[in-house]
Amino acid sequence: MRYRPARAMEAQTVPDRPGLPLRERLRELPPVQAAARNPQAAAAAVIGAFVVALIVGEGLQEVAQRGLTGLSNGAIYALGAVGLTLVYGILKLVNFAHGDFLTFGAYMAFIVNISWGGPLVLAILFAIAVTALLGVALEKAMWGPMRARGAGTLQLLLMAIGLALVIRYVIQFAFGTELRQLDVNNTATADFLGLSIGRTFLVVIGVGFVVLLATGLMLRYTLLGKRMRALSDNLELAETSGIDTSRVILYTWVFAAGSAGLAGVFAGAVTQVQPELGFEFLLPIFAAVVLGGIGNAFGALASGIILGVVIEWSTFFIDPGFKLGVGFLVLIIVLVVRPQGIFGQARTV
Amino acid sequence: MTEAAPQPVATASPEPPSETNGRPIFAAEDVVKRFGGIRAVNGATMSVREGSITALIGPNGAGKTTFFNVITGFYRPDGGRATFQDKPVLGRPPYAIARLGMVRTFQITKALRRMSVIDNMMLAAPDQPGERLGNVVFRPRASRRRERAVRERAIELLEVFNLTKLAEDYAGTLSGGQRKLLELSRALMARPRFLLLDEPMAGINPTLGRRLLDHMQRLRAEEGVTFLFVEHDMEVVMNHSDRVVVMAEGRVIAQGEPHEVRRDQAVIDAYLGATA
Amino acid sequence: MTELLPTLPLAIDLEAFASLGFWTGVGILAGTYTIFALGLQINVGFTGIFNFGQAGFMAIGAYSMAILVTDAELSFWLALPIAILITIAFGLLIGLPALRLRTDYLAIATIAAAEALRLFALNARDLTGGAQGIFGFDNDWDDVSDSILSGLESLGWTNPETLFPLFLVVWGVAIVLIIALTALQKTPWGRVLRAVREDEDAARALGKNAFAYKLQSLAIAAALGAIAGFFLALNLRFIIPDEFLPIFTFLGYAVLVLGGLASYWGVAVGSIVFWTLFEGLRFLELPFDEVQIRALQFIVLGLVLILLMAFRPQGMFGKRQEMVLGD
Repeated sequence: MRYRPARAMEAQTVPDRPGLPLRERLRELPPVQAAARNPQAAAAAVIGAFVVALIVGEGLQEVAQRGLTGLSNGAIYALGAVGLTLVYGILKLVNFAHGDFLTFGAYMAFIVNISWGGPLVLAILFAIAVTALLGVALEKAMWGPMRARGAGTLQLLLMAIGLALVIRYVIQFAFGTELRQLDVNNTATADFLGLSIGRTFLVVIGVGFVVLLATGLMLRYTLLGKRMRALSDNLELAETSGIDTSRVILYTWVFAAGSAGLAGVFAGAVTQVQPELGFEFLLPIFAAVVLGGIGNAFGALASGIILGVVIEWSTFFIDPGFKLGVGFLVLIIVLVVRPQGIFGQARTV
Repeated sequence: MTEAAPQPVATASPEPPSETNGRPIFAAEDVVKRFGGIRAVNGATMSVREGSITALIGPNGAGKTTFFNVITGFYRPDGGRATFQDKPVLGRPPYAIARLGMVRTFQITKALRRMSVIDNMMLAAPDQPGERLGNVVFRPRASRRRERAVRERAIELLEVFNLTKLAEDYAGTLSGGQRKLLELSRALMARPRFLLLDEPMAGINPTLGRRLLDHMQRLRAEEGVTFLFVEHDMEVVMNHSDRVVVMAEGRVIAQGEPHEVRRDQAVIDAYLGATA
Repeated sequence: MTELLPTLPLAIDLEAFASLGFWTGVGILAGTYTIFALGLQINVGFTGIFNFGQAGFMAIGAYSMAILVTDAELSFWLALPIAILITIAFGLLIGLPALRLRTDYLAIATIAAAEALRLFALNARDLTGGAQGIFGFDNDWDDVSDSILSGLESLGWTNPETLFPLFLVVWGVAIVLIIALTALQKTPWGRVLRAVREDEDAARALGKNAFAYKLQSLAIAAALGAIAGFFLALNLRFIIPDEFLPIFTFLGYAVLVLGGLASYWGVAVGSIVFWTLFEGLRFLELPFDEVQIRALQFIVLGLVLILLMAFRPQGMFGKRQEMVLGD
């Protein structure tokens, strides 16, 4: 028998609140049953129908145009989400400070690119490296010791929040609140197929997807990648199976912080570099993590991209100022309706 | 689990004579519970006679604990029916089932560690007006009166179980055995008609086990409380229960008196098969 | 952030510490956040609910009151209880789906809900004034404040501090609430709440509807958040969405864990200590500009959270086991 009774104890207890019969009846409906059996297909069907409706309503060009913008945001969300979800398995909670890794990366790139006048490519590499270093340093100084002491969820949660504030406001202390720009040409556009897209966005999409692809391959086919995934799924189990968890943990942080740093550089490139940068991207990244199933790296990757595009398409219906609110609504809806996400297993929540 | 050679069956105290003797206080029919693709409980049908001490046994993986959790409301059922005192209970939330008089304990004791023993006890009493916010504000005297009565009864029960000295201590400081007794006495505060014990003998020494069994017998004799307990210890099952329900592979394969069930071929096969 | 202390002079010398104006200002903030964190205490400390959307309740309370007064032209005194009821309604609305979630998921869900509300306030310009916000709701309060001031004058205080009436009322309300909550905690109702925090399943097995109790706890926290929102609004004299950023919930948590998860009185002490430290930073003679001082304040907030959690999670008045064995 494959099921694990100990974990299953937490699954699906009968809720105390009223309204149960209605929910049960909704569950029985054939489309709901079909969706529950194959959530990915259901999601794809819903999105597909949505896309068709959009194209009919707004025209292919407009849809594709915003879709491209959405893809570049999506790449950023995906890069942030993959790292965050892998780290979840280690910390057993969603790391609030992850958004500020993005900010940190953006500012590191800024230092090299603008303050020191270096080339952008160097700035990007520097940002990745230094952010990765920060992640490792924090693991050694903070997370590792706290785990060893058996710290509870609230303790870790508040520490993560405190850390987020420290990083963000040290940056603000050092750099002030002015909006900064990286040395990118934000006005140049690339035109093709009747679409016009900022070159920066195109580069983000291009480089971002290459990195995501490499990430996906690494996670799926390399030994380290498999170990990282095992760890994020169940740390204790991984420990008992003989994996040298402390090393894998370090590599996971290198990867997570590094990818966050890269995401931050991209975010800074397509918007501006400012201290609130990471926090603005954090909640959509959370949404991607939850949508993809917490601890599920591929889910996070796919969900980030999907979310980026969907959020951008939502501007057809709502005030662009509120488009991030769409991310939050998605997050809340997913948490309530299907906490294991579209790609997750029916695991304990 | 040891399958001992046939031993003389020590008699448990006889079921108290009552007009409802023999009538089921609880009945389950075709109960189903799925986890993913696995049917942990696959159509379980059984009943418990009022005033009896009934044991629920079966090899590992038979679905006993899952069944237990389903009928007490802690798991959502995927099929079947169950009634308690002729009232439907399957699929109702656990607190509603408890309020009807069907109270369960947990295998790993759930003493509320950061609350005192007496608080643990007083919590369990039913019909406390002070537990409702409206009454706290608008009917404080009624709440206080009931609180005093509840405290008296809690101390009485603690005395029965020899826990009075520990009344003001945090439940988390109690030893394992003391916590088992607390769990039982706390369940009794809830005035159950039907008490379901999840592996009450697990992890305690034989002396304490004997005391628990004595309490069960006394409660059954004096107050007519019905017991259902999940158990692995065959000595306890054979010598201290009136009836035995055997589960295997998610189904009930036998019900009856201990000596009948022990000789049932299906039961023997189930246990031998499980240990093969 | 400077909006938080609209009437304090930006003095940069230690004399400011001797000024009654400074202490009145700190006192008002401390009192406001005491009420705010009382809501967190009943949720986190006594029910085990990780409510991270308290700033959202503050927003609903403040905005509802202001809209009722300025748009619907209701009396201020009538708007207050209605705004509390509206906030409680939102609390129940959010709680119904969210309270089923596990601890850290609940934290995310409540932050997301609060942020969605703030974004709504930012964008629904017709209703909420958007980024400019709402003002002009406090005329009735000004009357009361003036009469308190003249009362103080008649008692012999020649030039009373203008914000002193607000200080008195905030703390008056805070103390009444602390007494009420402490008494509530000792009732059988409070006992069930603690049982729900300890072990929901045990409470359920004993006939308690754990979910209903969690909802009630959240509803009370919502009401407390709304009241804190009123005082925030009266202090600032205007309401803008930026006053309800998640960071203010985090600030509330710093106050909460500083005082310790055990007691309501501890919240008051924690709040006073925290705000003295936080605002005091602005009046130290430090060679930094305004933006940097502001940043320094929040660095200190972050450090308070980290260091407390690492080295003294029980805060000043809590018990160590309460925090560490929190799961």
